[in-house]
Amino acid sequence: MVDRIFAGLLLAVTLGYGWLAFAVIRAPFQYDPLGPESWPRILSVLAAICLAGILWKPDVERFDTRGGTWLRLAAIVALLIGYAGLYEPLGFVLATLLFGTVAARLLGATLVRAGAFGLATGVLGYLLCAGLLDLNLPEGPLPRL
Amino acid sequence: MSLKSAAAAACVALAAALPALAEIDAPECVAPAQPGGGFDLTCRIAQQGLDGAFDRPIEVTFMPGGIGAVAFNQFNTTRTDDSNAIVAFSSGSLLNIATGKFGTFTENDVRFLATAGADYGAVIVRADSPYADLGALMDAFKADPGSVVVGAGGSVGSQDWMKGALLLKSVGADPRQMRYVAYDGGGDAIAGLLGGAIQVYTGDVGEMAAHIGDGSMRILAVLAPERLEPPFDAYPTAKELGYDTEWTIMRGFYMGKNVPDADYQAWADAFAAAYKTEAYRQARESKGLMPLELSGPEMDAQVKQLIGELRDIARDAGLIQ
Amino acid sequence: METVLSGLATGFAVALTPLNILLVLFGCFSGTLIGALPGIGPINGVAILLPIAYGLGLPPESALILLAGIYYGAEYGGRISSILLNVPGDAGAVMTTLDGHPMALKGEAGRALSLSAVASFVGGTLAVIGLSLFGPLLAKFAVTFSPADYVALMVFAFASLASLVGRNGIKTLLGAVIGLMLATMGIDANTGVPRYTFGIPDLLAGIDFLVVVIGLFGMAELLHLVEQQVSGRLRTLPVDRSFLRRADLLRTRWTILRCSVIGFFIGILPGTGASVASAVAYGTEKRLAGKSGDSFGTGDLRGLAAPEAANNAAAGGALVPMLTLGIPGSGTTAILLGALLMFNVQPGPLMFTQRPEIAWGLIASMYLGNVALLIINLPLVGLFARMLTLPQHYLTPLIAMLAFVGVYSIVGNPFDLYLIILLGIFGWVLRKLDFSLAPVILGFVLGSLFENNLRRALSISAGDWGILIEDWKSIALYGLAVLVVILPAWAGRRSARAAADAVED
Repeated sequence: MVDRIFAGLLLAVTLGYGWLAFAVIRAPFQYDPLGPESWPRILSVLAAICLAGILWKPDVERFDTRGGTWLRLAAIVALLIGYAGLYEPLGFVLATLLFGTVAARLLGATLVRAGAFGLATGVLGYLLCAGLLDLNLPEGPLPRL
Repeated sequence: MSLKSAAAAACVALAAALPALAEIDAPECVAPAQPGGGFDLTCRIAQQGLDGAFDRPIEVTFMPGGIGAVAFNQFNTTRTDDSNAIVAFSSGSLLNIATGKFGTFTENDVRFLATAGADYGAVIVRADSPYADLGALMDAFKADPGSVVVGAGGSVGSQDWMKGALLLKSVGADPRQMRYVAYDGGGDAIAGLLGGAIQVYTGDVGEMAAHIGDGSMRILAVLAPERLEPPFDAYPTAKELGYDTEWTIMRGFYMGKNVPDADYQAWADAFAAAYKTEAYRQARESKGLMPLELSGPEMDAQVKQLIGELRDIARDAGLIQ
Repeated sequence: METVLSGLATGFAVALTPLNILLVLFGCFSGTLIGALPGIGPINGVAILLPIAYGLGLPPESALILLAGIYYGAEYGGRISSILLNVPGDAGAVMTTLDGHPMALKGEAGRALSLSAVASFVGGTLAVIGLSLFGPLLAKFAVTFSPADYVALMVFAFASLASLVGRNGIKTLLGAVIGLMLATMGIDANTGVPRYTFGIPDLLAGIDFLVVVIGLFGMAELLHLVEQQVSGRLRTLPVDRSFLRRADLLRTRWTILRCSVIGFFIGILPGTGASVASAVAYGTEKRLAGKSGDSFGTGDLRGLAAPEAANNAAAGGALVPMLTLGIPGSGTTAILLGALLMFNVQPGPLMFTQRPEIAWGLIASMYLGNVALLIINLPLVGLFARMLTLPQHYLTPLIAMLAFVGVYSIVGNPFDLYLIILLGIFGWVLRKLDFSLAPVILGFVLGSLFENNLRRALSISAGDWGILIEDWKSIALYGLAVLVVILPAWAGRRSARAAADAVED
């Protein structure tokens, strides 16, 4: 069943993709006979055939993920989105400190240990990546190294 | 989640408010690409050539995404008044602005600051090519534009394609009749030329420095307004051979539109002073660029005029309506 | 031959000075570290550390030796996160996850790390030998590869990948098509028309490979780990003290040699690199293994050795056109070329006569670098393997941190951080539905090579499809493609018949 749902959704995306390829994408002029539109057209047809095959004969009935797990997964995704949103404004050190602490706590570490872990990844991660390897990381309000 | 996004929003507002302080205390050159590319080198010229111009050295940062469009849009929306930051550009970026690839913003939404240097287009063939000189090649174009396979490292509408199209136009041929092969970059195109897949490569003079003297390729002409300095002084310009084609690859920097005049002028003066130094000359030459020294409002006006001309060319070629 | 030997003598004299030995060691070590970060490979490693090397004020040959060490180190480092975390360190290490990570899950991380170090060493060293003996000759051959020949090469690559077909053929094919579709986003390389960008400037240049890999592999793995942990299905791994055995080497020696050769040749071609090399090597090995190849993907030693030998050999091969012709064949070598220019060295045929100390010093340092990497890596195996004993509630956030560092420090755009999360969810769903992720990535990598070269070939011929079968190189590759598909079937039947004969006797 989940196979069918997924294939159905993807088929909708593929139809949109194919519609753009067949009706919209066009070059003012081109030197090759295929142009920008032929390759996506072929791909959309291929994808549609594959998806039809899955709709016809699905093999995964349902996810074995239970209710509580879904909740936890959603929480992690929300955390990740928060981490991404705070990455530049807060800078690497603070954002990682926050994310590391909350994520470790959420996954079962004690609050103190989670905090220590967050602090360690934030500070050590920055020293290692930005200091030693000279990677480009956001500084946020903290002063430049 | 809502609390977090509120916090994020507050922080964004804070971060955006910070650079409004009208002084250059943390100079930064934004290379709108990944490290290692041409924009990186352009920023390194500023970094090395302007060493000592400000209290702190210029930091090079990277903002890749959308062939420079991401940086262009950011400096048109959130960082319009950032006095600390200059952004590297090339003629390719100007072409993208002219053809509208960068979206709704135009050249009038930023202030062009200074040039880093220039490179020039070149018409290159393999050493054993039947085209002895530019004249022979142009005759072939005139007789049948589709008889010569031209290749280079850019798509239709890119700088490399423009060079070929302008050559054809100079003898009254239609660029659409050209046989043009778009490679992934200059290196691949040179490999294609040496391997015989293409017959003519419309590349740049600077990258040819590596190949001069090894006898594998010949430069038929350079697309510069006048003869270049050594070691390129031996090559005729297309203009002196009677073909009105010129392609200057300008590399330089722009800033946000709302940067205070005083700060803009401070940057421009720093460049104008640096042009006279030996350190700047060395920084430019080590990046394979030839001198082109313009800064301040005069440069801004020239670039904007140039974009207007590019727009006309693109319209002529049918790239934009 | 004589010039090669005297050249190497010059080179080793340069490379064996104490300062330069130290630089090779330092370069290899920091390269390994940076390469081990998910997504950051040799290209970015070299680009990031280039300013440091320049700023040290070293003489040119020493600075280049340092960079060569970083280049090799990063290629080595890529396998570490592939094996331990199931997150490829770079494009060339995608195939390494297929058998490397299952080995780690079986408690054999140490064995996997040490075997892959040896395979990398052999691949890297054979490539340098090939480079010093036949460099100029091979480079001349490589440039004659026309767009039509690349099309044939892509057909061969897809044919050898047909062996990846898992339990559900349709899903494997669909996975590859999804990868191909993702690759069509961004400005069309031929006509300059934007495709599937929806007016978002961040998408104009398409989705960065790094983002796809970190998203589909890294983030999906993270979600997978969380799910396993929360549902209590995750077992903690015992402290891993496994190490390479002599029998392992005997079993994989032909695989390693074959894949080194495959990798080296694919690496030489401008435009193709470690990712194509490792994919073709893996596919070919699986095909050649016949019936016993069924264990590929479950922690087969050969499945691990093949891509590792190939990607390091390809890294060496990519230097051939750069050093001998001055043509950068890949992103990384383009940056190395830039580095040479910064030190006023012009690579190309003239470099070997005008600046032999640099040309040969660089080559000699690659020999040293490979040895240094083997020496550095083997003792560290235990340390790296210990990472897996980290409790899950720390490991998971750590993966997220590393993935974010990889994406942000290279792509530098917060938009891509959201993109990896989105791709991660997509990848997780695909995994739940029994899709294999490798075809998606390979479709993504090979897709634009395939499309662009096909259209280039047709531009050259002004639309005549005959160009695709004009050259002997293309025809030979199509022949190989057919062979790689039918050979295993044939070999399988023969061994079945041999078995039947044996019973009759």
